[in-house]
Amino acid sequence: MTAKILPKHAMQGWIETLREHYRIIGPKPAQSQYVFGDIHSADDLDLSYPTSILPPKKVLLPQREDLFRFDSMGDTPIVEPTFDDEPTVILGIHACDMHSIALLDRVFEKGTTDQHYQTRRENTTLVSLECTTSCSEFSFCKSMGTLSVPENFDLHMTDLGDEYLLEIGSKKGENLLRGFNEVREATDADFERLNKVMSEKWSHFTYRLDFDVTELPALLSLSYDSKVWEELGDRCLACGACNIVCPTCYCFDVRDEVDFSLRSGGRFRVWDSCQLDRFAIVAGGHDFRDTRAARQRHRFFRKGKYLTDQYGVVGCVGCGRCAQACLVHISPVDTFNELHRRRVPSAAAQEEALA
Amino acid sequence: MSSTKPKIAFFDFAGCEGCQLTVLDALQTHTELLNAVEIVQFREAMSRSDDDYQIALIEGSYTRPSDEVRLQEIRDQAQIVVALGACAHLGGVNAVRNAHRLEEIKNYVYGEKAEVYEAASARPISDFIQVDAFIPGCPIDREEFVRAVKSLLQGNAPDIPDYPVCVECKLRETGCVFLYGKTCLGPITRAGCGAICPSFGVGCEGCRGLIPNPNMASLREVLSENGLDEMSVKAKMSLFLTNQIATSDMEA
Repeated sequence: MTAKILPKHAMQGWIETLREHYRIIGPKPAQSQYVFGDIHSADDLDLSYPTSILPPKKVLLPQREDLFRFDSMGDTPIVEPTFDDEPTVILGIHACDMHSIALLDRVFEKGTTDQHYQTRRENTTLVSLECTTSCSEFSFCKSMGTLSVPENFDLHMTDLGDEYLLEIGSKKGENLLRGFNEVREATDADFERLNKVMSEKWSHFTYRLDFDVTELPALLSLSYDSKVWEELGDRCLACGACNIVCPTCYCFDVRDEVDFSLRSGGRFRVWDSCQLDRFAIVAGGHDFRDTRAARQRHRFFRKGKYLTDQYGVVGCVGCGRCAQACLVHISPVDTFNELHRRRVPSAAAQEEALA
Repeated sequence: MSSTKPKIAFFDFAGCEGCQLTVLDALQTHTELLNAVEIVQFREAMSRSDDDYQIALIEGSYTRPSDEVRLQEIRDQAQIVVALGACAHLGGVNAVRNAHRLEEIKNYVYGEKAEVYEAASARPISDFIQVDAFIPGCPIDREEFVRAVKSLLQGNAPDIPDYPVCVECKLRETGCVFLYGKTCLGPITRAGCGAICPSFGVGCEGCRGLIPNPNMASLREVLSENGLDEMSVKAKMSLFLTNQIATSDMEA
């Protein structure tokens, strides 16, 4: 492993050096929560953040993103695609969000590659941060197998107290340290400190899923007709918050807006949510998921089965944002556990005996 | 010289005229609007008053029996009628009075002259004439108004969101006001305002009306769980939503 040591007091200098070449995004306080936003100095950045309202996904797939401009004023219509290729560094990404970015990379690469996502992704450098304590009462990353950072980082930071150990994962990551003299090579003593942090961290996280995550797709297959969905549908406000804050949701709607000429304008995409009333309405007005129960089921199947079927990785990274945002306390881990409780043989037999 | 631009007229019924002020404001920030349309009647802003128009934008709610005649006249002339703002769209704050006996309200407001004034239940204009489009809000959102005008010029119905305010709160990363011990009608209220009230730390009051298929029962539980007693829930839901929430549901 190639690693460097960055003293915490050198953070300001590092950010100043980076800002000469990059836009820097990182976690910062907003009201009593945290958001990923522009970092102009080390004072803006708070790497001890628990979690953020929206995941750093928004840097790669913005809430609203221009796709192209069109102009039909002249003899030949003009269509000009819009790409954002500004070199960007995202600092302090937690492991769950790194897993979600790994999933998004697959989603937007498969089939016809999404050029808008791809352009941003290629120009973005990911600096992840080792999670050493549980970030919120709602998270359950340990159960989802997402507590360890995946291999897609460019630079990975671990807090060693008064210093950070920086593991270099790619050329892009290495470039972030170029021309910056306040880092030193990690020594054996540093690696010993790293090992201590890494071995101690696991006990700070609890398993919250009552079964192994690899059983999740099969459990869902068996639970398609479960009464759980009706129960969730009764409570659900269909407010869409769960989708909007989710690091693996990537559905979007495409819209046009014209200028006053009515002949020129732009096309853009905005995040969409499968929990909203209009999401599944198709031509002719038919809605193929017209109940909240059907939409909740769809959401949990996306997270626990469909994405795994398609991309081979679990679609829920256990960040807990949706559970935190939900006013009626719908949470993935509770839902999965409830489905499991109703499927275990003894309970099923009891149900049958009572029927 | 006669213009080929669409002729637009503004009308006001019972309301505070804040939506017309927002339009006036939009005309200053988006001066292209003045090139795109010809305004032939707009009492708030000009003395010209011409009854030859294609698009009528009506602000304010129906509150008097004689309003129906005037509404019908506008409908007969206009090709497109747009309800502008919460009063025209929902009956607005005026509809708070609908929860009381009309005679009581008249006596309370006008005293011994009560009989001189005509008054009726405050209603949305769509209860009396066909309305082709609505621009919701108290007041309307300036940017939404501009987009709506462009849609009308294209011959399309304005694309007004039918999802709740929560979506916009989350998109702009506004902290949920429930976290700060406040309550909010955002989960059942139509978005499009950019979640402006929650972004200033104030819970949504529902001025843009209900989304289609709101889960009222579940929201009532949320409000109760967050400390609102029955009276307060009823009060909150009758500020803008009196005409949208059935009496039985109000009492439930």
